[in-house]
Amino acid sequence: MLRILHDTNIDFIRWWKWAVGLTAGFIAIGLLSFLINPRINTSIEFTGGTMMQVEFAKPVDVGALRSHLDKAGILGAEIQQFGTNREYTIRAQEAEQRGAATNGAESVAKRIGNLLTQQYGAGQVRVARTEAVGPRVGDELTRDAIIAMLLSFLVTTVYLAIRFEWRFALAALIATGHDVFTTLAFIKIMHLEVSLTVIAAILTVIGYSLNDTIIIFDRVREDLRKGRKESLYQTLNRAINETLPRSVLTHATTLAATLALLFFAGEVIRPFAWVMAFGIFTGTFSSIYIAGPTLLWIERKWPRKIGISKGSSTATRTSPTRRSPATATR
Amino acid sequence: MTLKYRILLIIGLILASGAALFPRNVKERVKTANGGFKYDTVRRVPLKRGLDLQGGMHLALEVDESKGHVADKSEALDRALKVVRTRIDQFGVSEPLVQKSGNDRIIVELPGIDDPQRAQEVVQKSAFLQFQITDKTQALEKALPRLDAAVKGIAATVATTAGTKPVDTATQGTPGTTGLFTADTTKKPAADSAKSDSAKTDTAIATPTTGGFSKLIQQGQMPGEYFVADADIPAIQSYLSTPAVQAALPPGKVIRFGSDSSQLANKLYRTMYVLDAKPIITGENLVDAKPNTSPTEGTIVEFQFNNEGGRKFRNETSKHIKDFMAIVLDDRVMGRPPVIQSAIGSRGQITMGGRDLQAASDLALVLRAGSLPTPLKIAEVRQIGASLGQDSVSKGITAGLIAILLVVGIMLVYYRFSGMLAILGLILYILFTLAALAGFGAVLTLPGLAGFVLSIGIAVDANVLIFERIREELAHGKTVRTAVDEGFRHAMSAIVDSNVSTALTAAVLYQYGTGPVRGFAVTLLAGIAASMVTAIFVVRTFYMIWLSRSQSTQALSI
Repeated sequence: MLRILHDTNIDFIRWWKWAVGLTAGFIAIGLLSFLINPRINTSIEFTGGTMMQVEFAKPVDVGALRSHLDKAGILGAEIQQFGTNREYTIRAQEAEQRGAATNGAESVAKRIGNLLTQQYGAGQVRVARTEAVGPRVGDELTRDAIIAMLLSFLVTTVYLAIRFEWRFALAALIATGHDVFTTLAFIKIMHLEVSLTVIAAILTVIGYSLNDTIIIFDRVREDLRKGRKESLYQTLNRAINETLPRSVLTHATTLAATLALLFFAGEVIRPFAWVMAFGIFTGTFSSIYIAGPTLLWIERKWPRKIGISKGSSTATRTSPTRRSPATATR
Repeated sequence: MTLKYRILLIIGLILASGAALFPRNVKERVKTANGGFKYDTVRRVPLKRGLDLQGGMHLALEVDESKGHVADKSEALDRALKVVRTRIDQFGVSEPLVQKSGNDRIIVELPGIDDPQRAQEVVQKSAFLQFQITDKTQALEKALPRLDAAVKGIAATVATTAGTKPVDTATQGTPGTTGLFTADTTKKPAADSAKSDSAKTDTAIATPTTGGFSKLIQQGQMPGEYFVADADIPAIQSYLSTPAVQAALPPGKVIRFGSDSSQLANKLYRTMYVLDAKPIITGENLVDAKPNTSPTEGTIVEFQFNNEGGRKFRNETSKHIKDFMAIVLDDRVMGRPPVIQSAIGSRGQITMGGRDLQAASDLALVLRAGSLPTPLKIAEVRQIGASLGQDSVSKGITAGLIAILLVVGIMLVYYRFSGMLAILGLILYILFTLAALAGFGAVLTLPGLAGFVLSIGIAVDANVLIFERIREELAHGKTVRTAVDEGFRHAMSAIVDSNVSTALTAAVLYQYGTGPVRGFAVTLLAGIAASMVTAIFVVRTFYMIWLSRSQSTQALSI
């Protein structure tokens, strides 16, 4: 039998201050880079504007392409290489183009398309993808994305409060909220494009991280039921150690699938895969170092007493009364 | 449940999934050899690919209120929807989708379209056809002094406000708009509403402040016809949009531009017509239109009125013998107005100038489908080339296969025999998920495909949880049979809770997501359900089969 990290007894929670410092530092870097340059690389779907993916028959110089566009009055368009040096994405998101898009979202795309065939000749350039979005659509999408995120928080918190107890739900919520911040910091630092697909990736990260927290909390719930004479601090550590082999295995298979996406699924899906890859790490990290210590802190602040706590929580019913509020400090 | 029923249920699930995925006959519009479209039965796997995977075009249309308020938008949109649907049906796309989204949007999806601009024009063209007689009373000449005065008035008011204008423009961020506005206010005061795409030509215009209106136009050959230099078009259009000039225009007449420019003494000129405002007939009574080529006039669209229209047309044209009749489509005069030789019956034709047969057939199409009751603007366009879509599919499949290989490797090395059971479960997981997607008629999008690949990695989590539990129970010295039972029992709460919370997130995504993200949420939901069924039920049954066939003392390879 091949076993990894079996029967470990690592005092994970002991390092929580270091861990919090680390993650706070990471979020701070993200925040700092946001303060220095507040521009977030949001996709056309959200800002409105025009995006075109074009493919040339021969390699093309970006500078020349840019000057052609500038001359045609499409100012400030962002040009990015997309895979090979024959493929580029052109983004026109400036206010002027957005205004033009209000009168018909496609007009800028038409102008760029005509310009390119004019400059490079018909048959030398092919438009692989066009996205043109009026500003109103973008606003609606932003609103819907925020609603989706908040609502998913709400429903999962309510579910956990019912299945576990409000303390667990709150701790899981804070851990997941932490993941949102670190993921956003990661997106900012990596300068990834925030598209609908990336929003979906963030929500998947939330789900994945929540999964991980639930697996550990499930163990805590079960261990509490056994009524061992130990503090919550010890129970938490035990639960983390007990679920460690599972964590390693599941993260390995998920990471394998994510890496397959990152390297083989092509350019369009890459930002999604990057966010997922980071999400596996931050999700694992927060399940241990954010959810755990937060639970201890909540437990200390609002100690559980038999019969008082709300919800049909099984954990509360069976938790030993003699245990004093968790002692997180050592 | 006894083992026998479990096995039967699994076989039933496999058969049902197989049936859901089995290639079947579907009625579809397919391209015929001569480029037309017809309904035909096609045999294919019933998994629909989204536009981003098969290539095509997605359009969101909204009521355009820039040219006037629309009272009942929802009602206008309903009528527009019918017209758009008729046009799209005739346009020739396999499996088009035209539907209303919310109260203010029409969604048009055209899979596999290879000429997006043409499609857009067909959808958006108002196709409002009018026949108007050109003015023969020299109404414009008579009105010219008034028009010149009006233009002078505008120039004066703009000149006084010109001092304040640069302050506004200074706050405008992009250099493009600033340049445009300063050029307008200094050189050509009245043209501040000129369109941005004419910015380049603006500087070429002779300063019209002194000449006013009359300087910009030149008398043409037929009554009511004038020539305007291409470069002056923006200026004259902006004059025409001002209330002062509109008030000075001859009453009962309208000004319309020709559709094409023509070369005259090294300069491009556009024709401008003064027409009787009341049309002698509109396209309302039109019953048929078809493209054709004529040796003298190039491409034409021949049309036919119904009986009532024919009568009306004959009647009106007989009153206007020797007059010139402009055929006005969407406020543009098509071709040169022909002279009416004798009363025209129910047939007529529109000359297309230099445009090709395709343009003629598109025009015929929109004329047949009727005019749009309200102008539509495009709020959103997504167009994906067919090859890019195909590329995404093949790359997605590659990534999926590699993900499966890696996961299989990890599970086999780590759990050996039990890992093999998990892999059998994984194969069924893939089958069930695809079947569920096909069964619900879900559309497979690129994010959906990515989500599916990702779910292959996550799907084994339930197995991992169970196997680790079994290992723990075995370590406690329990027998294989008890360890398996206990392992499944103890892992259950974790599996249920984690999957349900993910399913809740997916449900929220489905509710608030649009297009591709919705596809992603559906894939996620199908995946969660399939993974729970395989891990809890199928793999459990595999264990039961194995246990029933072997001696209880046998060691479990896990």
